[in-house]
Formats: sequence, structure tokens, C-alpha cells
Amino acid sequence: MKMTAETRGNVARVALMVVVYLIFASRIPSYYSTAGVAALLDSAVLAGIIAIGVGLTMIAGEMDLSVGSMAAFAGILSVKFYAFGMIPSFLMVIAVCAVIGVVQGYCIYRLNISSMVFTIGTLIALRGLTLVISQEKTALIPFDIIAQTDILSKKFFVFSIPSVVLLVLVLAVNFFSRRTLWGREVFAIGGGRSEARAAGVSMKRPIIMIFAFSAALAGLAGALMSIKTGSASPLGFEAVLLEAVTACLIGGIALSGGRGSILGILIGLFTIRFLVSGIAALGAPFWMQSLATGALLIFVIIAEAVIRYIMRRRRFVLAAKAAA
Amino acid sequence: MTTPSMTADSKMRIPKAVYGLVAILVVIAVAGFTTPSFATLDNLFVVVRAASLTGIVAIGMGYITISGNLFALSASSLGALLAVLFALITAQFGFAAGIALTLALACVAGVAQGLAISLIGNPIITTLAFGTVFRGLAALFSGNSILRIDSDAALWLGTARPLGMPTQSWAFILAALLSWFVIRHLKLGREIVLCGANPQAAVASGLRVGLVTSVVCIALSVGVALMAILTVSQFSQAKADLFMGYDFDYIAAVLVGGIALRGGRGSPLQAAFGAILIALLQNFMLLNGFSAGLRMTIVGLLVVASISLFHVLQAKSR
Repeated sequence: MKMTAETRGNVARVALMVVVYLIFASRIPSYYSTAGVAALLDSAVLAGIIAIGVGLTMIAGEMDLSVGSMAAFAGILSVKFYAFGMIPSFLMVIAVCAVIGVVQGYCIYRLNISSMVFTIGTLIALRGLTLVISQEKTALIPFDIIAQTDILSKKFFVFSIPSVVLLVLVLAVNFFSRRTLWGREVFAIGGGRSEARAAGVSMKRPIIMIFAFSAALAGLAGALMSIKTGSASPLGFEAVLLEAVTACLIGGIALSGGRGSILGILIGLFTIRFLVSGIAALGAPFWMQSLATGALLIFVIIAEAVIRYIMRRRRFVLAAKAAA
Repeated sequence: MTTPSMTADSKMRIPKAVYGLVAILVVIAVAGFTTPSFATLDNLFVVVRAASLTGIVAIGMGYITISGNLFALSASSLGALLAVLFALITAQFGFAAGIALTLALACVAGVAQGLAISLIGNPIITTLAFGTVFRGLAALFSGNSILRIDSDAALWLGTARPLGMPTQSWAFILAALLSWFVIRHLKLGREIVLCGANPQAAVASGLRVGLVTSVVCIALSVGVALMAILTVSQFSQAKADLFMGYDFDYIAAVLVGGIALRGGRGSPLQAAFGAILIALLQNFMLLNGFSAGLRMTIVGLLVVASISLFHVLQAKSR
């Protein structure tokens, strides 16, 4: 049975995820209890929602590095807006973040500048702005209405509202990116930008769209987490970028752009969550978790680069044989 | 054929250095007139010392940018790791061994990052991952506690003022002169510039791009090691959360200095000027009681503005 390279890659990724799961499940009983699985799902929400947006920008051959600051900004904003009610607060935060994302995307399109460099600038500026609007204090939801936020922590079998939001978003964005014209344009400008341009794809729409998406999704994730816990720190969400990027890369989104799928992000996400939650459950200190994520990321990108190198060599040999 | 490109090059170069100097003078003038405590001798030492440490690393970061590899986001974490290692080695084997081994380990870290960057091709993501690992290792080695060293030689290195100027500033000036000499007059420097200007041409002409990338990463790592050694010596202690968030200052210094982000243009000296400018600005804002958030916002906006401005200017000059 011959598999395409993409299927083979996906099988390998799922296998990696299952192996990581089994390693920890054999030592931690909570990995196969209802409460344990629910906790794993919940822990994946923050990085997962952000990874969808980062993944879209990576597919387009760009990269939004400002998502961590955006999430912190949204967190503070959502707590400040909470006086208007929970749903309006979410909608307002998402709208504000999407507008910032549109402006960011427009600048990147207009200046034709490397998005990684530009978003480093906004990463700093947004973090500063977050500190300013929060007056460098942790923002808290007033104690007398905090009970309303319990609905976000409530479990339905293994699902909670945040984890359902994550799964629905993954499916919706996956459908959007694979089946609609706007979504295909994102793949097109990532895979071969000059070819796409020659074929008449405008850069403007996809670039503005992906940055609006990643900002809005980062805003949603920050707001969900902050309202769920009832508090938001202006210095929070700093490590989430690394986890989101790692999830995308393990999930098969190429660093060079144009390849991968949003569904794949889920595979990458759960591989990391199984690993990090497992390490935490075995009692390692908090810095061990980020050490593990970083080491995993280095391993994945180097493995991918080596595989790509070997494949290219092999293709050269095949081409040489065919010519001879 | 060479003459027009030479003149174009010098046309680009002279105004930029002048811009940097003018900007520094403007900040000094504005700050001096509006803030009385700014233009005092004590404050001058504070600024010079702050600018020196940032500047040493910014020079290394300038090399990375010129070689076409944008930035490294691992500098501050590597600083923490090297600071912890320096403190551990000094406590165990003495001051000289501490310096030698720290510099050697910095080179190892530089080579590892350089090879990974040239293999993977995305410096920012690669160094983001390396940075996390460095920070984790710093916590691991220090046991997440404060390490103290007790060495008179280290204390001298950290606090002495030979000829009235802090040792940090001597190191900064020497590093700046050395970097200028390397980039202008050594074959290695020209190779770094070529790798940034046109990587395909560099490969085609037989340059080892991977080697050059490793060299610039070593330059940054050695700069980071100097910063770590000087800081630990000054305060006689090291901990794992040292230099947290300093990466932005280095990047801001490179960007404000106006080094072309596409690589292949500019000089590490511009990063040094940028570092002085950022340090002056930070000090001015601090003396006027700006909050940390406001200072960060202003630096961030300055970065965004200078990226966009230089990008537009360079696009026009081509």
C-alpha cells in the first residue's frame, strides 16, 4: 500500500502523540479518568485557540509573534469590560483585537515588511500598553459577581465551554481554510508567493485577514482565560507563543509556509499537553515544563530540516538516474 | 561599475551615522533642559554603565542582523545561563577559570545556535526555542536560588573605574572598535556582509554560509558572556531570572541604529549608537517618573516607527 507523503507524515505525527500519551498514561492514572481528560482538554484551550491564528499566519508564510501580548491585553480589557456582562465583554474584546489585527495586517501589507520583525515591535508596544491600561496591577472581576464566571469551568462529561469553543473553532477554521476561496488564497501566498501573484491573487485580502484572525483569536483566548479565573495579569501569557508555535510545527505546518492543516494543530497541541501535563503531574518544577517545550521544539524543527535535506538528496539521485 | 555602487554605499552610510549622533544630541539637549537631574555627573555614570552593557550585546546582535539572520531572541536567556554558570565555576575553581570557561561555553552555545539556524532557516523561531531551553537550564543549574560569589578580583572587575571610566564602558568601547575593524577590514567581516546582502551569491561563490552564521552567533554569545560576567561581578550574585525581558532593548538598539533588516548593510557601530540612544531615553523617562508600562510602550512604538521609516527609506534608495 502506497501512501502519499502527506498521509505518511500525518500517521507519524499521530503515532508520536499516541506514544507520548501511552508513556505518561502508564505512570499517571488520571490520564484515563473522566476528570483527568477534562483537565487535559481545558489546559489545551489557551495555546490551542492561539495556535489556530498563529498557524494561519504560518501557512501564509508570515508569522504573528505579538499574540502573547495581545492575549494579555485582551485579558485586562475583558475584565474591565466585564461590567457590561459576559457576552458583550467577549464581543467587545474580540472586536478591539480584530481591529488592531487589521491595522497590523494592513501595515505589513502596505510596507511589504517582514511580519516577524514588525510583530516584534508590536509585541513590545502592546505589552507596554497593557501595563498602562492596567496601571501595572492585576485586574480583578468584582467579588459579588464572580459567581457568574463559574459557567466557564462547568464540566459536561469531559467537555467544558472553553474546550468546546476550541474544538468548534478548529473544525470551522479547518473547513474555511480548505474549502473556501479566501482560505485557499492563504495557502497560495504561503506556498509560492510569486506564483500566486502571477496568477492574480491579491496579497491584500489574505494578509490582512490572517492578522485579523490571529489577533481576534488571541483576544478570545486571553479573554476566556481571564474571565474564567476572574483575574488578569498584565504580565501574563508570555510563554504561550512558544507553545502555540510548537503545536503548529509538530502538527505539520511548515515553517516555510504553504503546507499543513488546522486539524493537524490539534495533534501537535495534544502531543505537547500530554508531555507538559505529564511532567507537571510527576512533580517537576514549573521551569521544567518550559524546558521540555523548548527542547521538543528544537527536536521537531531539526528533525524536519534533516528529513527535508535527505528527501532532497534522494530526489536528486532519482532525477540523476532517470536522466542517465 | 564599482565606483557608482561605492558612492551609493557611502551616501547611505554617512547620513545614517550622522542621524544617530544628531538623535543622541537632541535627546541629551531636551533631557538636559527639562530634567535638572539628568545632566549631573552621577547620572552620566549611570547612563554610561547601562548603555555599555546593552551596547556590548547590541553589537553582537548587529552582526546577526547584518549577516541576514534578523535577530536572536535567546540573548537574555543565554545571559542568565552564563551568569549562573560563571557564578558556579567561580565559586568552585576561582575567578580566572570562571571567565575562561564561561567564554568557552558561550562559544559552544553560539556554534549550536548557528548550526541550528543555518539548518532550519528561521532564526527567530530557532532562537525562541533555544532561549526557553537556556532559561530552563539556568533554573536547573542554580536550583532556582540566588548564587553568591566572593572574589575580590570579580568585585574589582565589576565596580572599578580605571581612568575614571567604569570597566563596563571600557569593554563597550573596545568591543565597538573591534567590531568596526572586523566588519570593515577583515575578510571575515566582508563575508558576513556578503552573506546578508545576497545569500545565493555567497553560496555560489563558495562561502560557507553555515560557518559564517556560526561566527556571528559566537560574536553575540561572547557579547552576552561579557555582559553576564560584568553583571555578576558587579553585584556578586547570579540568579536564573536575570536579564528577563532585555531582548527587546537589544533589538530596539539594532533597529533604532538603522541597520538594514534585509542584511548586508550597516555596521555594528550603528547598534552601539542605538544602544546609547535607548539608554539615554530610558534614563530620561525614568527620571521623569514614567511608569514601566509607559516606558515599554514608547520603546515599542519607537521600534515600530524606526522599522517602518528605515524600511521605506531603503525601498526608495533602491
